Amino acid sequence: MSEYYLSVEFVNFASRMFWFGAILAATMLSAVILERSVYGYQLIRNQRLKDRYFPYIRRALDGDQTATRALVKCPPRYRLIIAEFLITPLIDDRDPVRIARTLEIVRAMALIPTAERLLRSRLWWRRAVAIRALGLLQARKQTAAIIAALDDLNPLVRAAALDALTDLRDPASLSAIVVRLQDASLHRGRRAAALSAFGKQGEPFLLDLAEIDSDHRLNYARALMLCGTAIARPALCRWTRDPRPNVRAATFEALAHTGLDEQAAALAIECLESAESSVRAMAARALRGWSGSVNAVPNLAKHLDDEWPVAVQAARALESMGESGLAELRGCSSRSDLAGILAKQILWEGRARC
Amino acid sequence: MLTTEALSVLSIFSIVVVSYFVLWNLAQMAMSPVASVFLWRHERRYTRRARALVDRLAAPPLVSVIVPACNEELTIAESIRALLELDYESREIVVVNDGSTDSTLNVLQRTFQLVPAPLAYLQPLPTEPVRGVYRSLSEPGLIVIDKVNGRSKADASNAGINAASGVAVLIVDADTVLEPDALSRAALPFLEDPKLVAVGGNIAITNGSRIEHGRITDVALPRSWLARFQIVEYMRSFLLFRLACAAVNGVVIISGAFGLFRRETVIAVGGYDRTAIGEDMDLTIRLQRYCRTRRRPFRIGFDPHPLGWTQAPEDRQSLRSQRYRWRRGLLQVFWRQRGMIGNPRYGVVGLLVLPYMLVFEVLGPLLETSGCIITLLAAALGLLNWKYFELMIGVSVLFGTASTLLAVLLSDIATHRYMRGRDLMLLVAVSILENCGYRQINSWWGCVGTLQAITGKGGWGVMKRRSFESER
Repeated sequence: MSEYYLSVEFVNFASRMFWFGAILAATMLSAVILERSVYGYQLIRNQRLKDRYFPYIRRALDGDQTATRALVKCPPRYRLIIAEFLITPLIDDRDPVRIARTLEIVRAMALIPTAERLLRSRLWWRRAVAIRALGLLQARKQTAAIIAALDDLNPLVRAAALDALTDLRDPASLSAIVVRLQDASLHRGRRAAALSAFGKQGEPFLLDLAEIDSDHRLNYARALMLCGTAIARPALCRWTRDPRPNVRAATFEALAHTGLDEQAAALAIECLESAESSVRAMAARALRGWSGSVNAVPNLAKHLDDEWPVAVQAARALESMGESGLAELRGCSSRSDLAGILAKQILWEGRARC
Repeated sequence: MLTTEALSVLSIFSIVVVSYFVLWNLAQMAMSPVASVFLWRHERRYTRRARALVDRLAAPPLVSVIVPACNEELTIAESIRALLELDYESREIVVVNDGSTDSTLNVLQRTFQLVPAPLAYLQPLPTEPVRGVYRSLSEPGLIVIDKVNGRSKADASNAGINAASGVAVLIVDADTVLEPDALSRAALPFLEDPKLVAVGGNIAITNGSRIEHGRITDVALPRSWLARFQIVEYMRSFLLFRLACAAVNGVVIISGAFGLFRRETVIAVGGYDRTAIGEDMDLTIRLQRYCRTRRRPFRIGFDPHPLGWTQAPEDRQSLRSQRYRWRRGLLQVFWRQRGMIGNPRYGVVGLLVLPYMLVFEVLGPLLETSGCIITLLAAALGLLNWKYFELMIGVSVLFGTASTLLAVLLSDIATHRYMRGRDLMLLVAVSILENCGYRQINSWWGCVGTLQAITGKGGWGVMKRRSFESER
């Protein structure tokens, strides 16, 4: 019997594939070796630079001018790496003294013009790096440039700008941040973080804008959950009459943050009877810790059998209202249904905390 | 006459096999630029400053970490301790003791001062009855649900999802070792993008690495060749295929070892299917189907960093039963979701990802095994063209090695694991040697798994587990 026949073209094709495979495998192996070599080289170089410049960095941060001068004299090719050594720890360490000294050193090393140049780079990742660095350094002279970057074409540069403004905490940037609360192209978590960074400073801007822009009241209510104070309460009380249930729910959540007065508590109690469960739940949440003259306990107790999110908020609010609320929970805990188990759970958690 | 016909069949079959091989390897190569661009963008997007967002938020969303545990007495205490040290503060841990017959519950009770406690929650997902709920006096964020064994991880996961109060649920295996920043890394896309419904993570293999107090302290390749082969398999799967899928929002598998899901969406699709063999893939595809059917903007993300580490089987029996199970799971999912394959309504998943998997994962082992069998037969009958055979073996080994090295390259960029010179030599050896036996055995197991799927036989199988301290 003979071997099976294969056309010459096919065997030629297989031979070509063999050589193609060989070249491909060799290329991949070279790429792996090259990548590892570059990585290894960078590790070694960075370690050497750390060994050499970290003592200077430490001393310069302690205010030693000789060490700062030594850093200034470092070869230009090492400057960006040293800047990275200086700036990266600021992500976790937001000590104002350290930030100010780092900024001084970076200025002395003439790195701010470099960052400004990078801000104008055509490569988006370079712009993003420069923006983040300037934010971490709290370089307030560059606030305008960072605000301008909020309108960059690249979403990751815009995200970096928002991060930088969060770190910068320059009140001059607050209005720019508040105005962009509705900008869905900016990451949601970052918008919240930026607003949280300014705390109650953002409140007046939010209230002013909310007055003229009632379409986005939901976002303003959510923002007031982060930075609202008693000043926002009258506006929030008005918003509890908003026709949109999600706005009303968010408003009560914001009121839970700002705390209630007699008028707000009365509104929350009234809204416990709202047709929307989300509004009832947030109204119950707002009443958590309420100890004013209006007695909310009987109204809340009725909602232990309500829809689940409302029941949970009502039970937690009752627990926070002292003996009268606890008595309601104890009364309910003898039941074997879900409300009874919920009451038992809340009472157990209270005891466990003690 | 018969011989002439046999020879022409052999010729045609050779062409099919060669074309298949070339196509598979070219597909792997085609994925690489997509995966590389995704990786590059990911590295620049989730910088260290970006990851600090969680710390800058006043109230990060609550994430419930769900740990289904069945007979995990050896590793459970270490696993939970490690979970309690995750750097994401706003989390609760829900351990579901799925009717363990060993002392898993006792170990938990002893270690974390558990006491019976009332816990009220709705049960939107049906599960086997819950026998009791325990809470820890030493760790306020720890809840243990003790339930009747549901004979599937899906049932235990559903029980955990029911009891969870977080907006997102992280499902992890009890023996998964998590990186300290795994949760904050995985939660970050959730904070950024309200459209995100799930995030999967890269899973690495613990074998050979040193684990101390539930943390990986030294990464090294294992001594076992079976485990080494699986390491490169995981690299290919996670850093080539899944990255490429993630780049086009076509992720169809989020590993059961680590997956973060939006709770309300998981409940909306009915949670894990208790009858599914590959419950992780089944859930991910159902999420894709649910969102695409409703034309709802959504995204399923993937983090190329190793967020979790898991033990790979080192003995042939455990590996074989795992592969049988994976195969049955794959075929079951494909059968159930056959309406999605090639259907433009399901976008890139229907038109690209599932057809790719059908051709290369569902049919691949059958074709490869039949290729081997026919080659052996031809050799036995003296019909084999040895020159051509050598050429084909060469093509197969070289292309296989190239695609594995590509995965190693991506792994290097993403994780910088196994960076010693010896590791590189071993990885090259592994990528060559896996083509000389391991792949063929795997294909054979795939065929047996297919048979089991058709006949409805086969069980979960038992994997020999070791405690973390005995890893090295």
